Amino acid sequence: MWLPFLGLVLGLALGLLTNIQIPSIYENYLSIAVLAALDTLFGGIRAQLQHVYDDKVFVSGFFFNIVLAAGLAFLGVNLGVDLYLAAIFAFGVRLFQNIAIIRRILLTRLDEKRHNKKKTSIE
Amino acid sequence: MKMNNKKQNSKGNFFTRKQFELLIVCITTGFIIGYSYNQAKDNRQTSAIKSELFEQEDSYREELIEQQERNKELTEEANMLQEKIRHYEKKFASNEKDSKKLVQEAEDLRLLLGDLNSEGKGIRITLQDGDYDPKSANPNDYIVHESHVFKLLNELKISGAQAIAINGQRVMANSYIRCNGPVITIDGKQHPAPFVIEAIGDSGTLRASLNLSGGVVDQLLNDNIVVSLEENQKLMMPNVKIES
Repeated sequence: MWLPFLGLVLGLALGLLTNIQIPSIYENYLSIAVLAALDTLFGGIRAQLQHVYDDKVFVSGFFFNIVLAAGLAFLGVNLGVDLYLAAIFAFGVRLFQNIAIIRRILLTRLDEKRHNKKKTSIE
Repeated sequence: MKMNNKKQNSKGNFFTRKQFELLIVCITTGFIIGYSYNQAKDNRQTSAIKSELFEQEDSYREELIEQQERNKELTEEANMLQEKIRHYEKKFASNEKDSKKLVQEAEDLRLLLGDLNSEGKGIRITLQDGDYDPKSANPNDYIVHESHVFKLLNELKISGAQAIAINGQRVMANSYIRCNGPVITIDGKQHPAPFVIEAIGDSGTLRASLNLSGGVVDQLLNDNIVVSLEENQKLMMPNVKIES
């Protein structure tokens, strides 16, 4: 359980320590990549809680989503249409949905636990 | 796959393939987030520095404007004092006729120095580059050089010009003229051809001295320069302004 958090911290440290400047044109790509990564991460947590987690789907979804979002942004920049908005919208909606589902699952589990405790105490 | 299996074997159930993949995903996510945070921080800093520089520039500009205004005030004050001195001198002259000549001389010198606005009868000479075919002729033989201007100025001074201006800029006793390709520089200010040289003085004398056979005008014409002379009843010349 501690491994993903360790990885997150390690990645954060790496990202904070790298001092490479990218041109401001590519900042759109970065924001989309952040959204895609977060979306996939929460999607994975949700799948785990719903007992439908599949690591192949998770990993492929992670990288594929990032690449797709960046590609869409690239296309949008070249066509002069703000296509990256589509990616931001899709990922944003999914992020909220995933977090909502996670919250509900956790709430129902908490309720069940309390219920069980009561039951045991009554018994 | 094999490597993962080995790891799995060596560490038991501790480090499974699933966890390994999860670790990579987490590292990537962390990296992206950290990197964009860094980027945003850099942007914030640069924009802050920029606004600081703008403020500095603004304050310097204001200071400059203030100084220029002060300069203007001081110039006005100097002009006023000059006028006062003249007034005193004139008063003095009316009292003592002997010193009238001296006052006249001071007046002439002042005009020559360019301390006063000058106004009066005079002559206007325009020097223009000659027409030439740039393919067949050397343009140097046809354009007005500073030596031509020198000759003209010298002749004008000899014949008693009280005040001289080139393209509206007063030429003082200590002015310098420099050739600078197609333009000439007078006290640091560039002037292109045609050069309009105005001189205040006895226009008859000035004209006669310029038109002497073998004189300045003849020499200039010989150098393919278009010269036009014009007597003027009322020429106005500004006094010398010290630009800040």
